[in-house]
Amino acid sequence: MSIGADRPEGAIPAPVHWAHRHLLDVDGLTPPEIDLIMKTTDEMRDVLARPIPKVPALRGVSVTILFYEASTRTRVSFEVAAKNLSADVVNIAAASSSVSKGESLVDTVRTIEALGADMLVMRHPVSGAPYLAAEVFGGSVLNGGDGWHAHPSQALLDLYTIRSRLPGGSLQGRKIVILGDVLHSRVARSNVWTLTAMGADLWICGPTTLLRGFEAWASCGAAGRRFTVTSDVDAALRDADVVMALRIQKERMASGLLPSLREYAARYGLTKTRLRAANPDCVVMHPGPMNEGVEIAADVAVAPRSVITTQVTNGVAVRMALLYLLAGARHAEGGS
Amino acid sequence: MSEPARVGDVADGLIIRGWGVDPESGREGAAEATVNDGILTRMTWLTGAAAQGLEPGGTLILPGLVDLHAHFREPGNEDAETVVTGLAAAAHGGFTTACLMPNTTPAIDEASVLALVRGAVAASGSPVRALVHGAVTAGRRGDTLSAMGELADAGVVGFSDDGAPVRSASILHNALAYAGALGLPIIDHPEDPSLTEGAEASEGYVATVLGLKGWPVAAEAGSVARSIAILADVVRDVPGARLHLTHVSTAAALDHVRAAKAAGLPVTCDVTPHHLSLTDEWIAGARRWAWQALGADGRARDPWADGALVAHPFDTSLRVNPPLRSATDAAACLAALRDGTADAIATDHAPHTEVDKHVEFGWAINGISGLETALPVVLAAVAGAGLPLARAVETLTTGPARVLAGRGDVWPGLRTGEPADLVVIDPAASWTVTPESLASKGKNTPLLGRSLRGVVRLTLAGGRVAYTVD
Repeated sequence: MSIGADRPEGAIPAPVHWAHRHLLDVDGLTPPEIDLIMKTTDEMRDVLARPIPKVPALRGVSVTILFYEASTRTRVSFEVAAKNLSADVVNIAAASSSVSKGESLVDTVRTIEALGADMLVMRHPVSGAPYLAAEVFGGSVLNGGDGWHAHPSQALLDLYTIRSRLPGGSLQGRKIVILGDVLHSRVARSNVWTLTAMGADLWICGPTTLLRGFEAWASCGAAGRRFTVTSDVDAALRDADVVMALRIQKERMASGLLPSLREYAARYGLTKTRLRAANPDCVVMHPGPMNEGVEIAADVAVAPRSVITTQVTNGVAVRMALLYLLAGARHAEGGS
Repeated sequence: MSEPARVGDVADGLIIRGWGVDPESGREGAAEATVNDGILTRMTWLTGAAAQGLEPGGTLILPGLVDLHAHFREPGNEDAETVVTGLAAAAHGGFTTACLMPNTTPAIDEASVLALVRGAVAASGSPVRALVHGAVTAGRRGDTLSAMGELADAGVVGFSDDGAPVRSASILHNALAYAGALGLPIIDHPEDPSLTEGAEASEGYVATVLGLKGWPVAAEAGSVARSIAILADVVRDVPGARLHLTHVSTAAALDHVRAAKAAGLPVTCDVTPHHLSLTDEWIAGARRWAWQALGADGRARDPWADGALVAHPFDTSLRVNPPLRSATDAAACLAALRDGTADAIATDHAPHTEVDKHVEFGWAINGISGLETALPVVLAAVAGAGLPLARAVETLTTGPARVLAGRGDVWPGLRTGEPADLVVIDPAASWTVTPESLASKGKNTPLLGRSLRGVVRLTLAGGRVAYTVD
């Protein structure tokens, strides 16, 4: 399946095997579906490599981006992705909309639909909000991050990035570590689903107060989806193939979860010294934005092993792939 | 049954045959009830040929059910429910007595507000008996005691700050002592608010996967332990002091109650129909009963692994305080009902408007509308979870009456010569829970769209027709 310039204008090929109208989480994605996303992303990367990185695949499709939380990376990434596909993009920052007057999510979504949106990309501080939007929205909803729950496009771009750096693109048995404030992280939760689905030896690490509840997940989950939870950062990093550092927020001190950022940096910060325990080719990742000097040392963030900026570029390609697949599913269903 | 009667009519000329269950007399079996001029003139327990064809799967005749805990929202939030609609819901659910919680606006913390509610009850003309709990503290603010003596004189049947716990341990001590001398229980909503700030779902596997802030077991178990410890101090001075813990939902808290009862302390508790039958996995999209979510090893199954997720996740009709718990906690609620640790099933009927519920999960108001689904849910537990029918009926009738200890004159029983107070149910018939099928304004039940077995055919309260299916 190719999305090259020789495709007749406006025609969207019905993608094989993609039948989801929405993408709200990655829990239910099967390995073949994940593979399809990865392959589509490959093609989008080719598009991005061209002098004019645009295709008409979503010409005439109206994409509304509704973010209830501040964001640079994800919001701009979705906007760029939609525009590269020639979609019409409307960007709404909730703070400057009627949401600030108390308009409900349900009314906001209905209004957006009445204004002609075909697809809705949403970020919201409350877990589960996109499901409510999907309930009332006639088009496709793409979850750009909901509370602590899920961040599907991030997990998929993380997976894409990891595959591009591991030999043969296989995660099977590879030791992958997610390090940091896991408790509050939708990036961590979505990555647990995708990385265990791909057979990685997944380790979740951080101070105990920020790992709360994950031991229950690790032990209750199905046999094929187990992972290790530990507060021992040295054990976690030993022979790791990939380390993903997560941001620590100042607010965590105020709520009594951590003594100080200084103490976190000293005991869990990803420094060159700590990384010596890992595999020499260990890939370093971070979803951004970073607190350099806290969860990740500045020199580690820019080191050759770091793929942090690659993640951002891959993010545009992954989001193009997701928008493309969702739009295709809509067409296959007759636009319903 | 002879001619169709209207709600409010004195029941007359009725002959009802079915399977009677009467916990007060300890009798269960084929029975025939005759009602004339509002009186149960004859309650005959049938044997031999006369009993032919009557068995537990057929028509059930039970004493009118008693609910210790319901919210009718009047005054202050009549969009969510009024006394009229609440009593209609009670009757539809088979309840002939409902105890109203005082977390109205204003709260029922003095006789004038109580009079307002009583006025609404009288104006409703409902035959269902509405009893009222007074607030423990003035305005339910937790600082000072409410006008307890005045409220007791005016006939409240208990005191509760429900919706919230009595925050201060020393206020709880004083309340137990003061109410004890009035012969009334303190009904505590066990919760430690410092552990539940921002909490959305029961702490555990499901909450973690769904990214919901956990509601720790300790928030309930710790509060229960605290209240029991305070009770132990109070009874030394005030032997008449009584503590009732409402909507207990965790094994750990129920264990504390069990130990306290074994030690002879005057504590009682109730569990809700939703806590014994639903679990936190429903928030992930599962729709099986709690007893179906237990593996052979007694541990909760993984809903993500065994195809149990059939509905959209984050349904706000599932947001309730205390939150829906794990399958093992639900099993502990059932076990507590069986072994007597839990004295009663109380609905905690909490109707809410669509506006308050059709929002993001974490921002939705807590509460399940439960009066009309309670009996079918309990019958499902009888059918599927090994809860004996007689015990189930006890926990809905004589159990709650014992907690009330005579206050409000509640004596559930199928007694000849007394005003008929009974409910007739067809346990095999099904009905689909839809907004239209519910008399309550509160359509916020997770059972919407579900077909339930157990249709109430007739509810007689104090000799009058409170609900009839005709």
